[in-house]
Amino acid sequence: MEILKINGVEKKFAAGQMPKTIAELLEQLRVEAATVVAEVDGGIVEREKFAQTKLSKGQSIELVRFVPGG
Amino acid sequence: MKEKLGRAVVGIAGLGGLGSNVAVALARTNVGKLIIADFDKVEESNLNRQQYFVDQLGMLKVEAMTENLRRINPNVKIEGHQIKLTADNVPKIFGEADVIAECFDKAEEKQMLVETVLSKMPDVIVVSASGLAGYGNSNSIQTRQVSKRFILVGDGKSGIDTVKILTAARVGIAACHQANAIVEVLMNSG
Repeated sequence: MEILKINGVEKKFAAGQMPKTIAELLEQLRVEAATVVAEVDGGIVEREKFAQTKLSKGQSIELVRFVPGG
Repeated sequence: MKEKLGRAVVGIAGLGGLGSNVAVALARTNVGKLIIADFDKVEESNLNRQQYFVDQLGMLKVEAMTENLRRINPNVKIEGHQIKLTADNVPKIFGEADVIAECFDKAEEKQMLVETVLSKMPDVIVVSASGLAGYGNSNSIQTRQVSKRFILVGDGKSGIDTVKILTAARVGIAACHQANAIVEVLMNSG
C-alpha cells in the first residue's frame, strides 16, 4: 500500500499503482493540466515540469484546478 | 491601520468583474498604491457586473478604472498598464507589489498568473479566485489558504463554461473575499 496526500485527503494505491509523476496523477484524475497549479510538500511545480516531476509515497500534494469566470 | 495600508502596494491582474470590484474596495480602504493591468476596453456586456459606467463604453479599462478610482479616493496612487499579461511580463509589471490579486476570466490565465507568482516572485502573495459563476449559494464561496503564499477564493467548481452566467452579486462576493483577504494579509505583515 502506498499513500499520497492529495488536497489534505490520504489516497491509497495498491503496490505499484501509485502515479509516478504529477502528469500521471492528473491523467488518473482526468484533469486537464493547462488549468492546474500543483504544489508538492508546499513547493510550486511549474506546469512544464509536470511530466518529469517524480512523486514519492507520503508526499503531500495540492492540486488547484481553475474554472473560468471573472 | 491607515499607516500600514498606506505603505502597501497591491497588483490587480485583470480589470473585469473581479478586478474592478477588488480595485474599488481597496481604494476605499486607503491602500497606498494599486498597480492595475488589463488590455481590454469597456464593453456593454461588462456593465452587468463590472465597476464602469455607460459613458465609459469604448474606453480602455485601465483608463476608465483610473478615472473612477481617482474620483473615489484621490490619495491612492494608481499605476496603470494597458497590456496583455504573460508569464514573462508579470514579474516586471508587478515587481513592486506586496500582494497580487488574480482577477482573470480564463482558467489558463488564472493558472499562468498563480504559477508565475509562486515560482518567480518569492516575496509576493497571490490571492486568486475560481468558481463564482451563477447566483445564490453565497456561503459556498470561501477563502482558503492553499499554501504559505497562495490564497484561493471561490466555490472551486462554478465556472462560466458550465454555469453560463455571471452576476454582479456573486462575482462581487468573490471579489470582496479577495479584497478582504488582501487587507488581512497587509495588516498581518511586517
